[in-house]
Amino acid sequence: MIAASPFVSYLINGLTIGSFLALVALGYTMVYGIIRLINFAHGDLFMVGAFLGWTVLNVVASRLPIALSVLMALLVAMALTGALGTVISRMVYQPLLRAPRLSILIAALAVSLGLQNGVLLLYGPVPKTYPHVLPASGLSLAGVRVSYPQLGMFLLSLLLMGALYLFVHRTAVGTAMRALAMDQDAARLMGINVERHIMLAFFLGSLLAAAAGVMEGLYYTQISFFMGFLIGLRAFTAAVLGGIGNIPGAMVAGFLIGLLQSFSAGYLSAQWTDVFVFVVLILVLVVKPTGLFGERVVERM
Amino acid sequence: MWRARRLIGSCALLMAIALAVAACGGGGGGGTSGGGSIKIGVPGPLSGDYASAGTDIVNGAKLAAQDVNAKGGALGKKIEIVTADDACDAQTAAQAAQKLLSSGVVAVAGGYCSAASLPELTAFHRRGLPFVMDASTNPKLTEMGFKEAFRDIGRDDEQGPFAAKFVAGFLKAKKVAVINDNTTYSKGLAVSTVDALKKAGVNVVFDQAITPGQQDYTPTLTKVISSNPDVVYYTGYFTEAGLLVKQARQLGYRNTFMGGDATNDPTLLKTGGPAANDMVITTAPLAQFLSGTESFVSAYEKQFGHGPGPYSVYEYDAVQVVAKAIQAAGSTDSAKLIDSLRGTRHSGLTGDISFDAKGDRAGVTYITITVRNEKFEAYKKLDDSGKWVDATAA
Repeated sequence: MIAASPFVSYLINGLTIGSFLALVALGYTMVYGIIRLINFAHGDLFMVGAFLGWTVLNVVASRLPIALSVLMALLVAMALTGALGTVISRMVYQPLLRAPRLSILIAALAVSLGLQNGVLLLYGPVPKTYPHVLPASGLSLAGVRVSYPQLGMFLLSLLLMGALYLFVHRTAVGTAMRALAMDQDAARLMGINVERHIMLAFFLGSLLAAAAGVMEGLYYTQISFFMGFLIGLRAFTAAVLGGIGNIPGAMVAGFLIGLLQSFSAGYLSAQWTDVFVFVVLILVLVVKPTGLFGERVVERM
Repeated sequence: MWRARRLIGSCALLMAIALAVAACGGGGGGGTSGGGSIKIGVPGPLSGDYASAGTDIVNGAKLAAQDVNAKGGALGKKIEIVTADDACDAQTAAQAAQKLLSSGVVAVAGGYCSAASLPELTAFHRRGLPFVMDASTNPKLTEMGFKEAFRDIGRDDEQGPFAAKFVAGFLKAKKVAVINDNTTYSKGLAVSTVDALKKAGVNVVFDQAITPGQQDYTPTLTKVISSNPDVVYYTGYFTEAGLLVKQARQLGYRNTFMGGDATNDPTLLKTGGPAANDMVITTAPLAQFLSGTESFVSAYEKQFGHGPGPYSVYEYDAVQVVAKAIQAAGSTDSAKLIDSLRGTRHSGLTGDISFDAKGDRAGVTYITITVRNEKFEAYKKLDDSGKWVDATAA
């Protein structure tokens, strides 16, 4: 139900949209932090995750209880997309790390096109629909209806982001990754296996993107081989806004952009959403070129 | 050295894959058969969000060509369909038109998005080839004075007033929200509808656009619903329409949700699910609601494994009209073909087809259809005295 003041509706919508953006933005920011690459194919990994989840759900949804099939779809999609991301990083990006920067950027574009067209060939051009498995019930919050799936998505994204943050800051492996982001050669001298940790960063980023993809499919139910483009663009914007290479920055900026989208569509017009979002981006970068949380100091992640 | 080779190798491999896929995606039925066939070009979105509509149109063309060839073809030669993917995008459409021209087509029948048909028409006009459009409804296409332009579908400056008449006259709505998606077709239809609504004294409480591809339209819908419209009319395409109706219902909107003729596609039913029930769509009549189309519908189902979409039957008629015009003209010369098309009198599956001086089809009618039990059903149409009656197969 629409509340007397739609403000709370816009707030809730914005946080929902933001959950997806934040998850995808994390992948962009981590990869950039580690190897200074803007992985244009990242939005398409989100799309691949959504399609893999769809495939799994189609097979198991009728045979298993809903919660179990959703969980399976999530885990399988995350694992396979993580593996795909790792393979791509190993085969395409790693050999180009010492090449001119343009080569690896173009390779990323090529991977993006390859993924899109690969899915197009495999699944066909017609958009696919997730089975409607999510309940429509919800609860009332400040006069606005929040559905349980909405709440679930929001909490799940927070959970995943929190897990990533803890992993990167509290484990030895995560610390190795941060060292790598600071100075690759010094890390190598310290005995850190650089190649392995780069692959791990890709694995984690792709994992999160796939989770976002499956969640997107479950919540909006429609997926197409195209869907990575727009969200990739906005998530990349979020990563830059938060300070590219900065994990908490990407999380906050993802939600911020979701809120900006929602409020601008609500109070201005949906036609002006992108203009508004990019104007905010430009203003922030003019005032603080390293982004909201970015630091000039080398320690980024 | 070894690393450079691997770099070149993997990049080359990726590029090759991307190129091959792009070529396959755009190639379709581009045959290079030897002489002895007459080529008719069929452009349409074969990739992208609206690919299901494009494929449906190509299927209709193929069926028509098969039927014509079974009766001996045209001028003793077989009709060959050459497809080109325009991805519903103006730049890709220009390339698609070039591709058709260089494959030696003598006429073109097809198209879906008006935004793509416009550059295609311009390209065909430069070479003097006739273009019979089966689904592009933007009025501009036949208002540019191109004698190559023909269409066997209606125009949005007719659909708009029709929709307004339905909203004001049948639904008796007082407040209407009109949403478009900023494309050529959608904006045209929205403008035409809003004008007609205002003339009918209806209060248009919302007249803005959304961005397709976004998936989440709840902020815009929240804004629309908070002004409490009796009717929401979406003038965009079926992919977004499914998402919009679903999200609108989730937000608690209980009144009528309507769509323009581009929301008419089976994908809408899949995406919208139960939320699509009771949706009303203004459209040219579908194959299933026209009499005499049973054999077309069953032949389509047999060959392609699913029912025909809304425009395949118009494409079928368009290809048949072109083949008939070739036969009547006695040659594939463009000027003769255009004259022959101008004088067409064809009794097609969609009714009697003839073209006026601008190339528009004479005597187009629109009907409304609705969704019941997640299936399309004929709803209401205007009879000759201006009353709303049930639109049965007539």
